[in-house]
Amino acid sequence: MTDALIHLENVSKTYPGTSVPAVAELDLRIPKGDVLVLVGPSGCGKSTTLRLINRMIEPTGGRIIFDGEDVTEVNADNLRRRMGYVIQQIGLFPHRTIAENISTVPNLLGWKSDRISSRIDELLDMVGMDPSIYRNRYPKELSGGQAQRVGVARALSADPEVMLMDEPFGAIDPITRDRLQNEFLRLQEELQKTIVFVTHDIDEAIKMGDRIAILRQQSQIAQYDTPEAILAQPANDFVSDFLGKGAIIKGLNLKRMSDIEPDRIPAVRQDASPDEARRALDESSDGRILVLDEQDRPLRWIDRSAVEGDQPLANSGYEVTAVVEPDDTLRDSLELMLQSTASSACCIDDDGRYRGVVRIEDLTRFLAAMQQAERERRAESDYEPEQVTLS
Amino acid sequence: MDGLVSFFEYIVDQIDDIIELGIEHAIYILSVIVCGGIVSIGLGIWTRNQPIAREVALAVASVFLTLPSLALFVLFIPIFGLGFWPPFVALFMYSLLPILRNTVTGLAEVNPAVMESAKGMGLSSRQVLWQVQMPLAWPVILTGIRVSALLTAGIAAIATLVAGGGLGDFIKEGLTRLGLPNGVEAIWTGTVFIVLLALLFDAAFVLLRRLTTPAGIR
Amino acid sequence: MSTATDTKAAPEETASEEIAPRAEEQEVVPAIDENLQARIGLMITPAFFLLLLIGLVYAWTTTEFDPTTARILGFEGLVDKFGEHLFITFWSTVFVVGIAIPLGIALTRPRLRGIAPLVVTFASSGQAIPAYGLIVLFLVLLGQGTRTAIAALTVFALIPVLRNTMVGLDQVDKPTIEAARGMGLSKWQVLRQIELPLAVPVILAGVRTALIINVGMAALVFLIGGGALGETINSALKLNRPVAVFIGGALVALLALAIDFIAALAERYLRPKGI
Repeated sequence: MTDALIHLENVSKTYPGTSVPAVAELDLRIPKGDVLVLVGPSGCGKSTTLRLINRMIEPTGGRIIFDGEDVTEVNADNLRRRMGYVIQQIGLFPHRTIAENISTVPNLLGWKSDRISSRIDELLDMVGMDPSIYRNRYPKELSGGQAQRVGVARALSADPEVMLMDEPFGAIDPITRDRLQNEFLRLQEELQKTIVFVTHDIDEAIKMGDRIAILRQQSQIAQYDTPEAILAQPANDFVSDFLGKGAIIKGLNLKRMSDIEPDRIPAVRQDASPDEARRALDESSDGRILVLDEQDRPLRWIDRSAVEGDQPLANSGYEVTAVVEPDDTLRDSLELMLQSTASSACCIDDDGRYRGVVRIEDLTRFLAAMQQAERERRAESDYEPEQVTLS
Repeated sequence: MDGLVSFFEYIVDQIDDIIELGIEHAIYILSVIVCGGIVSIGLGIWTRNQPIAREVALAVASVFLTLPSLALFVLFIPIFGLGFWPPFVALFMYSLLPILRNTVTGLAEVNPAVMESAKGMGLSSRQVLWQVQMPLAWPVILTGIRVSALLTAGIAAIATLVAGGGLGDFIKEGLTRLGLPNGVEAIWTGTVFIVLLALLFDAAFVLLRRLTTPAGIR
Repeated sequence: MSTATDTKAAPEETASEEIAPRAEEQEVVPAIDENLQARIGLMITPAFFLLLLIGLVYAWTTTEFDPTTARILGFEGLVDKFGEHLFITFWSTVFVVGIAIPLGIALTRPRLRGIAPLVVTFASSGQAIPAYGLIVLFLVLLGQGTRTAIAALTVFALIPVLRNTMVGLDQVDKPTIEAARGMGLSKWQVLRQIELPLAVPVILAGVRTALIINVGMAALVFLIGGGALGETINSALKLNRPVAVFIGGALVALLALAIDFIAALAERYLRPKGI
């Protein structure tokens, strides 16, 4: 890992009046353009570690190297202006409009006002909020999810190379959190920022991280690897304990529906003739076909019994309940399948059009292949998991 | 009814004095909240990260408020003589606690997450104070100044006992002429106009608060 | 002393800790424990007391008293005035407590809660009246004397105790009351055994404020023939004896400081343990 953008070099933090360091001799390289997730039980020092990077907490030992430059002693305010910072409580300025919140750092950096203005619109668009509606609103007028979008936009305002995020979605309800996580990942694909992301939730870590550092007390690294590798081969008991049961299920968080090729079970529009439907049913390997609406969105499952009567297709069969979007993880779709009666889920594309169908068996097959691949990769590279001595 | 009629007659008759003494009274209030405001807000800001200094300042200011007004007025006579200054200094001392405490509370009550994010974005500690903390604490501080103004309006009535002027003069005059014509009218005039002046200041503060509170936290 | 003295009584509200206080991951913020706060408070008052006392003794011992000054500061006269001051302060405070606490309890009961805001607004607006004016108006209404003085002080100092009683009772944790009711305590028992003990600290703060208001106002009752130490000051002012003025003022201030100090100690030790 030579292309580390940030290098914490044996960094320590001991609070005055305590003898036990909160962070002890941590050596951590943060690769450029990746999402590095720091995860660990509460009290392990992960937040402290994050806050050491932008020197919200001043280290008591070691050096911080940022883009080849030792920033341990430079002006901390200037350093922070080069790093986006998002916290769980968001901390929008309640007395300033959304636009003013976002323009804080550009203002500090002395940007021209028309540049700031267009940047605000760009960022609000980017996080999916209509600038014409939200620019002049105040934070109290936003929902929790919207506030955190603005929080992210504000952190991105001066286009920092680095984003530091401390449990950014921790205080948001599960449904909104899921959506924000997905949007965030899509955004990151585009922006390719270097992101350090703190969470205590291993599922979130697996979903969000290109790499994960599992931390134990005093920010000691218990394992630092890709999510796949950690799931396939935990380095020690601490990591396996922390992963808990169901590592395979967790692995489903790693892949999205867009990674998987669904089975193209035949489908017909709802205004199709019974003959067409019958022909489609003949082609189906499943004994069922799908009925779609005018925009090709899946509506109902039907089988042969539905085309025997004269009922319109739109009323026969049973409703499609499990619909998965390309951004949904395999885990999301598993959940939906288990809920639905069909033990399968309809995949749609970004515009809501029918792509195909996945079944539970497809997921298990996919998982097995993934694990096999990981094992082979290790065997080839003669990989030895980094042995971390646990004192 | 007769009483009310003679009361109004008295007011009409004395309107020049009422205005003049009312202005003297208002000068006490204004000068005290300006000086008290500057000192208290300054102290509150200066001690915001120094708990011991802050507690000492608060304790001293609250001791000031326990000192009886007449006693405090006369204690300064040996230094300033009679007139404007002893009441002014005493009233200034009284005005400190409400403003100081509200400054301390207002600054401390700013959501820590807002402070954290401001610092994390690279605002210097001075920028955090003036761009974030003070605007958010301002309504609370202003309430403290308002309380001080009302307090001053009431206590300044006693300035007359040390020849300090103000609307208290009417009450004193009424008291010495009690039983004579217009004695009671003078007492009512002094009392009523002090209350009116206090209400006037109160209204001014409501307006000021509306004008100076950022829209997002109204 | 006037309206806003009772800001003293408002329980200090602490900032809501919205950032998770993960002790080991927090920057060490300069926090202050309440104990230290109370100790500083209890140290400052004696410091001022000493300072004033030194000033008083200095003035008393270094000045040659002319006959008028000597008469104003005559020992027996001073003792009498001192006694009057205490008497008026004591009884007005007793009346305040006797009226305001029951009234506060009544106004927080469900049956009267509807009119509570009205009463509080009415009573608070009365506080806009300057103390000086109020005392003199009481003279007009009730005539000269100690009784008038006590009545005026009682009315003026009612609000802090009334308000703190209501606030104190209102802030008692609702689930605690619920639990007590659930255990079969009657409403009266809940009030006596749960609500009042839990409200004591706030009520005491109100009583302390009332006491301070009364000490200060008692210095003004000489205006309506109520005597007390204000008369000493007034005589000295009228006869133009600056040293006697200073000594009179210092005596009143010392008395107020002493009473406030005792009240602070009482406030500290009378509150139920565990709160």
